[in-house]
Amino acid sequence: MAADWMILLPYIFLAGGGLFIFCAAILRPDASGLYFAIALASVVLAGIAAVFHPPGINFGGMIDAGGYARFFAVLVCVVSSFTLLLSLRYAEKKGIAGDEYFALILFAALGMCLSAGATNWIVFFLGLELLSISLYVLIGSSHDEPASNEAALKYFIMGSVASGFFTFGVALLFTATGSLNIADSLSNVQAGVSALALFGLSLIATGIGFKVSIVPFHLWTPDVYQGAPAPITAFLSTGSKAALFAALLRFSLVMSPELFSYMTPVFWGLAAITMIVGNITALAQTHIKRLLAYSSIAQMGYVLMALLTVRHDGGASVMFYLAAYALMDLGAFGTVALLSRGGSDIDTLQDYQGIGYSNPWASALLAVCLLSLAGLPPTAGFIGKIIIFKSVVGAGFIYLAITGIVTAIISVYFYLNIIVTMFMRPEKVPVDLAFRVDPLGVALSGCILTAVILLGVLPSPLLSLIERVLYSFRI
Amino acid sequence: MLTVIIFLPLAGALAALALWHKPKICRWMSFSVSIADLLLVASLSFGGLRTGSAGSWLLLEDHAWMESLGVRYSLGLDGISYLLIFLTALLGALSVLVSWKQIEEKVGLFHFFLLAMQAGVMGVFLATDLFLFYLFWELQLIPMFFIIGIWGHAGRIFATVKFVMFSIAGSLLMLVALVALYILRGHATGHYTFSLFMLTGFPLSKTAELLIFSAFLLAFAIKIPVFPVHTWLPDAHTEAPTAGSVILAGLLLKTGAYALLRFAFPLFPNAARASVPVLITAGLIGLFYASWIAFAQRDMKRLVAYSSIAHMGLILIGLAVWNSITVSGAVLQMINHGITTSAMFILVGMLDERTRTRDLAEMGGIWGQMPIFSAFFLLFAMSSIGLPGLNNFIGEILILVGAFATHPGAAMIAFGGMVVTLVYLLRLVQETLYGEPRSEFPAMWDITGREAAILVPLALAVLVIGFYPGPVLDLMQGPINSIVGGGIGRIAALP
Repeated sequence: MAADWMILLPYIFLAGGGLFIFCAAILRPDASGLYFAIALASVVLAGIAAVFHPPGINFGGMIDAGGYARFFAVLVCVVSSFTLLLSLRYAEKKGIAGDEYFALILFAALGMCLSAGATNWIVFFLGLELLSISLYVLIGSSHDEPASNEAALKYFIMGSVASGFFTFGVALLFTATGSLNIADSLSNVQAGVSALALFGLSLIATGIGFKVSIVPFHLWTPDVYQGAPAPITAFLSTGSKAALFAALLRFSLVMSPELFSYMTPVFWGLAAITMIVGNITALAQTHIKRLLAYSSIAQMGYVLMALLTVRHDGGASVMFYLAAYALMDLGAFGTVALLSRGGSDIDTLQDYQGIGYSNPWASALLAVCLLSLAGLPPTAGFIGKIIIFKSVVGAGFIYLAITGIVTAIISVYFYLNIIVTMFMRPEKVPVDLAFRVDPLGVALSGCILTAVILLGVLPSPLLSLIERVLYSFRI
Repeated sequence: MLTVIIFLPLAGALAALALWHKPKICRWMSFSVSIADLLLVASLSFGGLRTGSAGSWLLLEDHAWMESLGVRYSLGLDGISYLLIFLTALLGALSVLVSWKQIEEKVGLFHFFLLAMQAGVMGVFLATDLFLFYLFWELQLIPMFFIIGIWGHAGRIFATVKFVMFSIAGSLLMLVALVALYILRGHATGHYTFSLFMLTGFPLSKTAELLIFSAFLLAFAIKIPVFPVHTWLPDAHTEAPTAGSVILAGLLLKTGAYALLRFAFPLFPNAARASVPVLITAGLIGLFYASWIAFAQRDMKRLVAYSSIAHMGLILIGLAVWNSITVSGAVLQMINHGITTSAMFILVGMLDERTRTRDLAEMGGIWGQMPIFSAFFLLFAMSSIGLPGLNNFIGEILILVGAFATHPGAAMIAFGGMVVTLVYLLRLVQETLYGEPRSEFPAMWDITGREAAILVPLALAVLVIGFYPGPVLDLMQGPINSIVGGGIGRIAALP
């Protein structure tokens, strides 16, 4: 039985770290450096534990312990550790560093790992709620800023409604199939697909659609992304989306072919409209965080497009793109965090004029991440896009692929516009007087930048890892 | 070896970035890197390039890269690409010299982009894997975006965004077409590959071939640029710094024509054959229309830019007619255009540095003030017109003679187009060099040593190709015969 508990080690590290921070805060209040250290150590330990997992398949039929869950656990841990590092200076400057800030990041990470790894609807729901509730608080953590409070409230209300949809959907699916096991309930819809199960599944898809901001459930996204503190926005847009898409991919992989064929036109339409609305709306934005919010909506459209093709080779495309997307959005929102002084984040496009010369590393990071989001080589985003288009064209969704490429062409314009602002418009503040990113920030920028380019030039190790993970998943 | 030739400039680019705060060292470093690259390219010709053996590929490199996608890192050098990478290395070194005084700000960054672009262009000319080709194809674009956008003139942002949007629209559609081709072949044979050699000759259905070919054609036509999609070019040229114009006209436009020759036509022979009338018409329209507009220009740089479109129109005709004579002419003309038009842009840039204007109305009587400069100006203008004995004449005559056999009408009209070229270029020369000075410019000085070092190699190239084109033509003969003959060259060296 000992080995069974070892399976839970990553989860234990995350939960234990969070609780430990709360305990430490009782003994040593206001030691934010200490909380940060504990949080970072727990995330790193959890990540290591997830990599060197003892072999196990399942924990009590509730949590997947195979390669698939571990892949996403590691991804979440990487994202969380970058979020923590980005937060270190940022939270001090804004005066929001405290035990709850760092502990809640750990709990949210735990929620993400749970929802990516759950094989039971109840566990998935636990993960979903854990990550949502932690994020509600984190989004509102700049108490003095009305925008932050508004964002938290908005996300809370929207998120609660989404959870309601989701729970009802699970209840209906349970009624229709008599099982709370995800794989059983989705694959055992035999003798024709029952209307009840389909209705339940649509409600579940709606609930998750809210969380990963698929059009038309995306309306909260720009406001929340703009209002939340920048590192939290980075965390929200990468970690929670990767985890929930991981769940969505799991559902699609285990779904019976009949059921999936019912979902295909739905996904098709949602993917097309998400890419179109996301990219076109982004054209009109004048605030970086809103622009990136719409861009992230559009990016989810591309992932959804790949999700359509899981019956062919889409699973690998989804997983690779999620990893690439996590890196590049982390870099993009991370730059906003790095460049922000106390007070509100720098957000309007004018604030970025000439920043390329006062902060070369941070702006190089932003530029590369934007080029990557636009899908230009030699970046992770390019490989991600080419793999997605390979799957989509290969599965015969030609019109969807063309929609995707046309919207991608449109998107190049607004991504370039930010780069133009950073490097080509005259400086607003003389370079000598401008704000400069601290050395830690420079190191982080260099790190993410290298990762984005490296993944674009040498994607093979990650791709073969994903292939192996998916292979083990199918068995 | 080929890898070194591509990545030496890239290493130089990174070094330039590291030397951000030392502009002087940075210039010397960039110059020596590009000269070293030029020497490397030149040294290839001692390794038996002129043996004239049966195979058209002289050097091949092939390594596994992204196994699961069937992407290989494979490069190939034949006579055509040898000439073009030689041109690339030469113009790369000259661009550093050209920018010596013109670029004063952010010197490190400028040389980073300049050298990175050189690497990208080299890659385009050498790649034989379509994925790798696409990678380099985009890689040459981004640095140019920055070079125009940061160091350009007043309207630079509009110009550079327009340039990039045109290029990206073309290349992303090409990417989908490329993926479609890859999938179709993969489904049919079970072997997924981006290799040019393996994709050539794969039979496609008629519609699929036409659609995929159109996407490729659009991407390349935008780059060349062919008549209806040429509008980005005058803006980009007008706003770019001189080195940007040199690279743009001398190299980036060539990549479009080269890609048409190397990839689009051999991969889709039936669709290409079907589109010949369209291509010839577009080439003719480009020739006349651009000449006509060039005649109306007051801005010298815009005039040269339009003349560039007209010349590329002729090259397109040469490629479209698709026999070994016209294609030889087209390839030779690609080299010639790279030399002559770059030189014209450099000269206009030098004049701009002295007079601070490019307005034809303010020029005049330059010969009296700067005789050596004017002699060069006249030489390159004559070369551009196609004066016998100079380089352009050979290329143009090959295209026209070759085209006459199969498309006499088009050849005759194209000949008329060359007369039009004569008109606006003579006007340019006359208004600039001769007559009375129309404005007082405070400081006019003749060619400096650095400027002579730029112009003399180009002038020599003009004369050498004009009088003795034999070796150059020999070099491209083998590959052209095999490409036009429907093959893609001997690939014995491949595993």
